[in-house]
Amino acid sequence: MSLRLLAIGGFALALVLFGVVEWAARREDRRGERSRIPTLGDVCAYLMRYEVGPVPVGRIGLLGFWWWLGWHFFAR
Amino acid sequence: MEQPPELVAEAPRAWDRPVVTVPVLAALSYVGGQLPSFSLPANLYTLGTGGALIWLGLSHRMPRRRGPARLGPGTLWWLLPVLAFGLLEGVTFVLDAGDEFPTFSRIADPLIEDELMRSLAYFGWLSAFWALVRR
Repeated sequence: MSLRLLAIGGFALALVLFGVVEWAARREDRRGERSRIPTLGDVCAYLMRYEVGPVPVGRIGLLGFWWWLGWHFFAR
Repeated sequence: MEQPPELVAEAPRAWDRPVVTVPVLAALSYVGGQLPSFSLPANLYTLGTGGALIWLGLSHRMPRRRGPARLGPGTLWWLLPVLAFGLLEGVTFVLDAGDEFPTFSRIADPLIEDELMRSLAYFGWLSAFWALVRR
């Protein structure tokens, strides 16, 4: 197997894992209780609560990362 | 006594509904999908749309959904996809082997050259950005 296929397969597997963990986070057990795994949205919301003094470091970091990601793929 | 802005309940705004936001994001994505990479308009458009969302996200103009005060041990499951993706991206980036052992960007670039795929990817980016702003 070529290294290229290994990389494509590895990234595909990682993306599938994101989907699987999100699915596991959203499902309820037989008693109707929520999963103990938080959704990705909850994890992001928790990270965005992090502040150093009055500076919302977590919020700036996550929004900034997402901004950079869009610029990286769509502009450069 | 003054309340922190994020604790103040705000009335829902008439425009802040999927029936309004989805078409707006779709229109923005359609325009973004028409702009080729490495062009000045693409740079300005991405920086402009992202900058506007950052401004909305850092100001207190948008009502926010409260996040959890703490996370349980189940959070560790998220390390699985994050580490798998991060390690592979790190190795492919450091080895710098081009198309032989490509980074995620190198794999994705040809896919988003097509205008439809580019618009769909733009829609995903803007939608996730909008969701982050609301958190």
